[in-house]
Amino acid sequence: MRSLISKIFCFCMMAYLVLPAMALAAGGKASELVVVADTRRITGVMKYFANLYNTNILLFAVWAVVLTAAYGCFLGLVMDFFMSRTGLDLKSRKIIEH
Amino acid sequence: MDWLYMYMPIAGVEIFWPGLVLIGFSVGVIGGFFGMGGAWMVTPGLNILGFPMAFAIGTDIAHIAGKSMVSTMRHSKFGNVDYKLGFVMLAGTMVGIECGAQIVMYLERIGQVGKVVRWVYVVFLALIALMVFYDYYKAEKKKKAGIVDGEKGTEGITWYKTLHKINIPPMMHFKAAGFTCSAWLPIIVSYLTGVLAGFLGIGGGLLRMPALVYLIGCPTHIAVGTDLFEVMISGLYGAFTYTLKGRIELVAVFVMLTGAAIGAQIGTVATKYARGYGIRIAFGFAVLGCMISIILKQYKVDWAATTLILGTISIISIWICVVMFKGAAAELREKKLREQAASAYKS
Amino acid sequence: MKRKTIFLCVTLAALFCLTSLASAAEVCQGKCISYNQDDKVISVEEYNLNFTDENPYGEATGTVTSYNVASAKMGLTPEPGDILRIAYEVKGTDRVAIKVMNVSKQDLRKK
Repeated sequence: MRSLISKIFCFCMMAYLVLPAMALAAGGKASELVVVADTRRITGVMKYFANLYNTNILLFAVWAVVLTAAYGCFLGLVMDFFMSRTGLDLKSRKIIEH
Repeated sequence: MDWLYMYMPIAGVEIFWPGLVLIGFSVGVIGGFFGMGGAWMVTPGLNILGFPMAFAIGTDIAHIAGKSMVSTMRHSKFGNVDYKLGFVMLAGTMVGIECGAQIVMYLERIGQVGKVVRWVYVVFLALIALMVFYDYYKAEKKKKAGIVDGEKGTEGITWYKTLHKINIPPMMHFKAAGFTCSAWLPIIVSYLTGVLAGFLGIGGGLLRMPALVYLIGCPTHIAVGTDLFEVMISGLYGAFTYTLKGRIELVAVFVMLTGAAIGAQIGTVATKYARGYGIRIAFGFAVLGCMISIILKQYKVDWAATTLILGTISIISIWICVVMFKGAAAELREKKLREQAASAYKS
Repeated sequence: MKRKTIFLCVTLAALFCLTSLASAAEVCQGKCISYNQDDKVISVEEYNLNFTDENPYGEATGTVTSYNVASAKMGLTPEPGDILRIAYEVKGTDRVAIKVMNVSKQDLRKK
């Protein structure tokens, strides 16, 4: 295991050192890809967010992070609630998640 | 069959949504069960379902942010975090993620992102599979030789002792973790993991955990907590920066997050009842299946790639679900019997 | 817990305030007729929303409109014949583009 880990590490080190250098060295003038959300096809909340994506990407980014985090917390609470109802003993299990 | 396809407003693609739910659910089950991310299957999975590669990475990283909120919420604290170490590493992690994301954007501009990320993933998954099988082989050998695992698991590698001697200021003392070293050591380690996390759209725990233990010399329980802290921050930052670059599909994030939250419960509970190494081997095969499907996708055999990746992850999730439901049923039955016996005894 | 809740509420309230700042933009998709790099004007023949296998980008409507792209975020340089998707705002009689996406050249479905 030890030699394996060291090998993995050496490989990753190499990849890291090579990739950013490559990107920097090449740095050509290829133009950026721009994406426009097609708001003609959707309605309601989706339309609001797609429109935000087109017009104010910074606000959209803040929304995305806040909503994802909030939804994560919400799911955590809901799941806790349901799992405590199952009657299983959940205290003694190992905590190995993420 | 139109109803099976959902329009993703930003990426502008029609996506087979049951596949999306299945990926979210499986990543929850497998991640919860094996305790190692599972995000490695999301980026390729989304790409195979039809998301452009940059969108797949951004969406994956955002779903990690949400998922880490779930686990943080459920433990209501980070457990053993060395906050000083965490904040020092934060600098490296965030810069690293940004670099990773910039590489992805650069590759997208020159039109190579799909190809490059897919091949890097193939190598990455091959290494994971190798690790899993090697672990199994070693455990089997030990079992045959009759050696029982001791407490000294991590004693073997002491690289950190050498690394701690590096004397580049500022030197820092980390109280909770209990060592002093140059601040550059954790910064560089977290930078390197950050680049990989930002580039592949993973949490990076797979690399950060061993790095924390072997290279930085963190006690294992501190490493777990600090890693969870880093995953959350790196996920949130990754989600932010990828959204700013316009490469995220919020609808998909939410669909997957719901599946993942339910799956994670089943996965973590199943760890209570699982016995033996058989399922680890299955995990190794799932990684290999995922790897092969990426290669198939690279050579444009889309239907085979989709079937293979969805097939492997569903088989392994079903297996874990069966373990969980059987175990839970047995536990509940026992509990009922105990209660009956107790009440009979009282009367 | 209480402080966290208050913090969350304030953040959400702030977001809702910011929301009103977001302007409504419209989107048009169609075939590029011409792109004048000096005047920064693109004219586009609009396509409708009837997506079929023969017309994956919609059917041509024959309406030609021009867009001022001086301040727009441009993707791959449009050439006549490319399918473009433009997010724009109407300012007076002008249509001012915010973002221009070259749909056919960067066809994301193939990446």
